[in-house]
Amino acid sequence: MLKIEHVTKHYKGSSKGISDLSLHIAPGDLYAFIGHNGAGKTTTLKCVAGIQDFDAGTIQIGGVDIRKDPLECKKQFAYIPDNPDLYEYLTGIQYLNFIADIFGVPARDREERIKEYGDAFEITASLGDLISTYSHGMKQKLVLISALVHQPKLLILDEPFVGLDPKATVILKDLMRSICAGGGAIFFSTHVLDVAEKLCNKVAIIRNGVLVASGDMEDVVNQGRSLEAIFMEVLEHADTE
Amino acid sequence: MLTQSKILIKLELCNLYGWNVLRFSRDKKARKKSLGILAVGLFVLAILMCYVGGLSYGLCSLGLSEVVPAYLITISGMLIFVFGMLKAGSVVFRKEGHDILCALPLSRGVVPISRLCRMYVENLLMTLAVLLPGIGIYAWNVRPAAAFYWMSFLGIWSIPLIPMAAAILIGTLITGISSRMRHKSLVATGLSIFFVLVILYGSFRLSAMEGEMDSQMWKNLSMWIMGLLEKVYPPAVWLGTAMTQGDLSKGMLCIGFSVAVFAGVAAGTALCFEKICRNLFGSYAKHDYRMGELKANSMVVSLCKREFQRYFSSSIYVTNTIIGPIMGCVLCGGLLVTGTESLEKVLPFPVEIESLIPFVIAGVFCMMATTATSISMEGKNWWIVKSLPLTVKNILDAKILMNLLLLLPFYLLSELFLIFALKPGVGELFWQMLLPAVLILFSSVYGITVNLYVPVMEWDNEVRIVKQSASALAGGMGGFLLAVLCAIGVCVVPPMYAVFLKAGMCLAVFSVTVLLYRHNNHYDICGKI
Repeated sequence: MLKIEHVTKHYKGSSKGISDLSLHIAPGDLYAFIGHNGAGKTTTLKCVAGIQDFDAGTIQIGGVDIRKDPLECKKQFAYIPDNPDLYEYLTGIQYLNFIADIFGVPARDREERIKEYGDAFEITASLGDLISTYSHGMKQKLVLISALVHQPKLLILDEPFVGLDPKATVILKDLMRSICAGGGAIFFSTHVLDVAEKLCNKVAIIRNGVLVASGDMEDVVNQGRSLEAIFMEVLEHADTE
Repeated sequence: MLTQSKILIKLELCNLYGWNVLRFSRDKKARKKSLGILAVGLFVLAILMCYVGGLSYGLCSLGLSEVVPAYLITISGMLIFVFGMLKAGSVVFRKEGHDILCALPLSRGVVPISRLCRMYVENLLMTLAVLLPGIGIYAWNVRPAAAFYWMSFLGIWSIPLIPMAAAILIGTLITGISSRMRHKSLVATGLSIFFVLVILYGSFRLSAMEGEMDSQMWKNLSMWIMGLLEKVYPPAVWLGTAMTQGDLSKGMLCIGFSVAVFAGVAAGTALCFEKICRNLFGSYAKHDYRMGELKANSMVVSLCKREFQRYFSSSIYVTNTIIGPIMGCVLCGGLLVTGTESLEKVLPFPVEIESLIPFVIAGVFCMMATTATSISMEGKNWWIVKSLPLTVKNILDAKILMNLLLLLPFYLLSELFLIFALKPGVGELFWQMLLPAVLILFSSVYGITVNLYVPVMEWDNEVRIVKQSASALAGGMGGFLLAVLCAIGVCVVPPMYAVFLKAGMCLAVFSVTVLLYRHNNHYDICGKI
């Protein structure tokens, strides 16, 4: 579904970025991407989403190179950034309708899906209000619905649980599981290691732009230790090297 | 309170014209952009100084040295008032950082005062740019007494105060009234346009009141100019006279009056600041939406619709870009009422008005294309269109289409007025319609090109983009300058060759437009913006 091969991205005049990063995400994978602040998680996700260029390597989505055919790639995924800066001058329903128009979702389908997810996240009553009146959590719910309304094969989420209330968090986790059970794939960054450990079948740990561990969750988290302990150990080990 | 004011003023001023980014950013791209903005600012400043210097030199050569200071004070006052009126509301009552400042233990009035101080510093810099070259040329020509220098030094600080106070008063009035309405932005836009039209009408009336100059007036031109300036802006004459004649009482009158007026307006603004902010930033959510039938649109319609929604959500964006087309309609309507003879009399050189009018229409319509700032206006939302399955062409086409659709009703109305006013033949009508259309199309595409190369995506106030960005200046004026050049060409060429020149212009401008359009559509927006 998603192949990241030897991707390198460095910002001019800054030490931040990612170096020679490779990851493979298969259909059905729920892939957690963890790392400290400034490790390169958001940079990686932005490169995958095609909103940031990279210096070297390749990124393929569904076998299509994002540099060669970005349009075809973007039709297959939905991206949610860490801070949902949305069009504050639109109402929630106008924003969802706009996204559905771009993806060519038929009117009947979008109505059903918006109703379903809107009711699940308890935001339907607010869809007629301007986004400028929304709280951070409501914006996060809205951007999640906009990502789900066109039923993408791949979801790229940057800190999707930030700002969500407990009920919405549970609903999102269930949705993520059902999407992956249906053959979709999710690649998301998080700082909540407990959630990553319980929810995901795969995990990757990044430190200062370099991938330090990746693979099946069961393989990474072994000998009865938690992901948190592994994460700390991996970072400390990298520090001493 | 004084300490708090000092801290906030320092905060307001530290990133004036992107200075703080230039000092501390390690990002070479950001530094380059800041340097570019600074360079454009300095370039404009240099042009303004050259213009004012030339003007002052001309007046001195005509023996009108004594009107120079008053004349320049009036010019700087007008500039401060017109630019300040449109941006005062969004600078003084800006939302960014408001919540953080509200949570701090700050005395009442400290926040608006710090913002007024920022405006004052900006306006003072503009005043210095206008006054210093003129004063230098005056001093070099007249060799005035020492009183001129110390009166200039004392008075120059007070020059921005009255026009600023007037601008803030109108800006606060517009913001205060609109803050009570649900559709704040639309009401603010309507009021801003209304005030601009009132100012335009007032200036026309003033010119009409003066009437034609007779031979007696020519004999005492300097008195005539001073009389006119006194009607427009009396404090300029008080301070101008104080400077040229060393009249301390008039100087003190001007300074005292300026300080009193500004203090009154500043106090009023500080008093109503919190109430206006509460109304302005308070959210109005009904929370009663019920899912109904949704309508699917094509991608183009949906993108264009969103562009219109973005456009009408910003009163400063609308006000800044719609004045040109409105003026175009007013001008053509005026021609219908007064006929072409009155306009021909006003023009300093003999010209066939019918051949000039298409360029005048094009010039006012192209004065500030929305496309010149439409990419920058996306700001933090830019990630949305970048992550969607849209080509660069899709995104940019919507922006161009929005600009053209916005201008279309004004263009048609102006042309209709012109048909009745000029009663052109088929050939004349063809050029009258084609020339502005080609230039408008060029300005739309050229605006995008400029904005692609000098975008500003990180901003905290729309004023920064609409009024102070390099793309607004270079992109917005491109079509206008081209229209002026074309008009000069048509005036210079013998009438028998005019038709060939017009055809050549249309072909050349259209070809350049197509080239720019194709170039824009291949721009790497993901890598470069």
